[in-house]
Amino acid sequence: MRLLVSALFATLALTAQVPRLTDVQERRLTNGVRVLLVERRGLPAFHASLVFRGGRADEPTALAGATDLLARILYASTWPEDLEGGRPQAALDALLKQEEGLLESLRLERLRELRSPGADSHLPALEASLAAVQARLQERLSLSPLADLLRAQGGRQSAEATADALVARMDLPVEAFQAWCRNEGQRLRTLQLSRFSEARAALLADLRSKAEPGPALVLGAALPGHPYGRDLADHLPAVEALRWSDLRSYARRSLSPERLTVILVGGLSLAQVLPDLEKHLGTLPLPLDREEHPLPEIQAGLGDRRVQATLGSTPRLLTGWRIPPRSHPDHLPLQMVAQLLGGGSTSRLPSHLVRQKTLAREAVLRMDLPGGRQPGLLLVELEPSPGHSLAELEAALHTEILKLQQEPIAPEAWSRAQAQLEADHLRALDEPARLAGALGRAWAEGGDWRLLDLEAQRLRTLAPETVQAAARAWLQPSHRTTARLEPSVAEGQDPLDAETSRVLLALAASRVQDLAQREHLVAEGLRQMRMLSPDERRRTLKLLEAQLPQAKR
Amino acid sequence: MKALLLALLAAATLQAQPRPHTFTLPNGLRVVHLEDRERPLVRVSLLLRVLPSDTPPGRPGLALLAGRMLTGPGGPRTEAVDRDLEAAGIRLDTASAPEGLTWKLAARNREQDRAMGLLAELVLRPVLNPQHLAACRADCMKDLFQRGASPGDRLREALAWDPAERPTEATLLAIGPEDLATFQQRVFRPERATLILHGDLGIEQAKRLVLLNFGSWPAGPTTPVMPPAAPPKMLQAQPVLIPRLGPALRIQALAPVPGDLRPEAAALLSLLVPGNPLLAPLRATWEGAGLTLTLDTTAPGAREAWALFFGRLAALAQRGFTPADLDRARRIWGASLSLDTLNPEAQMARAQAAQEGRLPTQEALDALTLQDLNADLRRWLTPDRLRVGAIGPAGTLEALPTR
Repeated sequence: MRLLVSALFATLALTAQVPRLTDVQERRLTNGVRVLLVERRGLPAFHASLVFRGGRADEPTALAGATDLLARILYASTWPEDLEGGRPQAALDALLKQEEGLLESLRLERLRELRSPGADSHLPALEASLAAVQARLQERLSLSPLADLLRAQGGRQSAEATADALVARMDLPVEAFQAWCRNEGQRLRTLQLSRFSEARAALLADLRSKAEPGPALVLGAALPGHPYGRDLADHLPAVEALRWSDLRSYARRSLSPERLTVILVGGLSLAQVLPDLEKHLGTLPLPLDREEHPLPEIQAGLGDRRVQATLGSTPRLLTGWRIPPRSHPDHLPLQMVAQLLGGGSTSRLPSHLVRQKTLAREAVLRMDLPGGRQPGLLLVELEPSPGHSLAELEAALHTEILKLQQEPIAPEAWSRAQAQLEADHLRALDEPARLAGALGRAWAEGGDWRLLDLEAQRLRTLAPETVQAAARAWLQPSHRTTARLEPSVAEGQDPLDAETSRVLLALAASRVQDLAQREHLVAEGLRQMRMLSPDERRRTLKLLEAQLPQAKR
Repeated sequence: MKALLLALLAAATLQAQPRPHTFTLPNGLRVVHLEDRERPLVRVSLLLRVLPSDTPPGRPGLALLAGRMLTGPGGPRTEAVDRDLEAAGIRLDTASAPEGLTWKLAARNREQDRAMGLLAELVLRPVLNPQHLAACRADCMKDLFQRGASPGDRLREALAWDPAERPTEATLLAIGPEDLATFQQRVFRPERATLILHGDLGIEQAKRLVLLNFGSWPAGPTTPVMPPAAPPKMLQAQPVLIPRLGPALRIQALAPVPGDLRPEAAALLSLLVPGNPLLAPLRATWEGAGLTLTLDTTAPGAREAWALFFGRLAALAQRGFTPADLDRARRIWGASLSLDTLNPEAQMARAQAAQEGRLPTQEALDALTLQDLNADLRRWLTPDRLRVGAIGPAGTLEALPTR
């Protein structure tokens, strides 16, 4: 009896330490929209996250960048002209259609001029026409940032395109709930996308000055042919060619009610929110094309892949292992593996490689790159200390992985990792935006928001042997992709890459008409070339160059 | 009537936020306590104010380097301290910014004693390890010059500094252990610090913890007043130019918040300027330290782009805002107060701003006239005050006009 009482007290104590998500209330609206509500009584404000499952991974290649554009156009602001009664405005539509035609003509004219530089140019005339249409368009658009309806109510909003979802986040005072609900319904009915050209130009500019080419390189090599391995910066021509009407059609399919979960955290009750949600979001029409296109399978055991590139100004070693999606039973043990390896400054890689052996200046570990719905990567990025080579670092990393797989895990290290994951979970529950984000990610990646709670509970009973078994099963050479990045002579530029790119582009130009396809071919060619050693690349480049006409060499 | 409603709304909102209790220890340490019993978490933030006069002439970068040595890994934050923190699931973030050094902790409530003890150990017994100087200096240089980063990141980092105060490799190399020790003695004093506690602990418990851990922090002796560093020149510096491949040109400027800008004017301008259509095609974003303005173009003609950039700024400054703009911005500011209740960090930042007199008040907002607002806007966007840079092909950058 005494034992039973002790066990009961112990269980109660554990439950008190890790709060459970019992206060999440879930409902489905008539058309399939999911609603999750976490009531925080007394708060005068609420956070809302709209999570559309799909994201960048669901984009067809020809529409690469569509999710990013929707995040920027649809959910970066709330202009009255984009909501007018929830119906597209004929006059605004006509102007946007004209703008679309002129933008496309300009793009084609620029291409034509590139191909035959001496020919008569229609560019000035087209640019003048576009300026005139855009001036008329401007007259119809709101003139003050304060005209933003959400801002006018004291709210703020932001949006993000991830590999698995489009996520819109909003914070508002509680009094604004009804108006917010109406606006969200109208936004999705109208899909006006009035700031299309502005947002596309901004996205292109950001992609051109994009940082972090290293992880993109590893993703491309580790997940070949899969949307998870796609780097948007390789698809600039496709983004340039993307049209307003194409994006609108795509939005109708991808932002459908069945793919939407609305997460509300704040001073709202279910009785208070449901009627308005049903009225404005529950009546959104379902798209005609509701067919889900499954993503291609990713085989974990593609073999040990290696990439060598001259990139950036500091040498770096990037090693990624293909790991299972979040819904897989081994995912949580692998999360613990990541915590033990790089989850804090006393975890194995920073402690052993940076502090003790001083082989590396920095060790960064990332999990579920680029997403967790499909098999992604567990990526370790190491920067060698001066005087140490990438080969040394690679050998040391493999030793650490082997030790984790084979040697018993020290109890202190285990409890430290567990304490950190528990504390992270608690902090996620504390802040409304973080809680909504964690619930949304659990749903978009694992198919069920309860995963967030289940993982926290499972973590407490996880055994070191399970974690080591997962490490042995997944962190093995056949799942691995390694990139050795050597600094380029000219900072940030790789002359060999630039030359290869020029030759491949010239070759592709003589055989392929479609610019997007041409760009894709060049990107793929470059990726393949990076698998070779610099000497092999130089030899291959000479062979490719020999195929070009004399004038273009 | 409208003003009354606004005041009522603001008052109701403030009631919903944890009420700050402020007290000062005999040694001069100011403490703000915000009680929030919703979850078993405690957050602590400690800011040590750094003044421009803490950096003697000829030592730009002293605060940056000292901050890294005194708050970062390898200094007082040894592996043993990190082990203690991580074993208790305590998250510690440190930052070194021009205005001061910050330690931020988040811990489960059962670890609050340990968290406060560790924080006190880090702040009260800072250790300057001369052997760590070279590594910290290299880290500072890496951050400052953004080696290996994209051109966009390098430009942002370059603009973040006033050219007159931006450290160089030479100034960082000139900083020795004596400079660091003097800096430490001047800055690590309780009367320079503000401690904010938020979360699941009552006022009595907060007082007990603060007294126990920080009560023995000796008030600093009166140190001789150092000659202040030369005031930043009204900048006539050349633009920062970063070459890259491809036809695209980016012109970017940072308009730092003028030190003497009224807090209420800053609050309203941060609502009115970003997204203002008069600036299009420039993009304006508000980022705490100031307003970042960006123009991206692929059209040829660097001089035309330059003229367009400054032309748009001049147009906005000249036009200014209308009474309706002022009225709407005031209303939005009042309504947005409640959003702080969604974020504990925002509540702590508000408490910090209130301590420093940087928090706009309803009365000051009501008293702000349109003339004041437009004058502040013009002062803020004066081209001489902007830090400007560009990224683009080398040939295009050469064609840009100098200042």
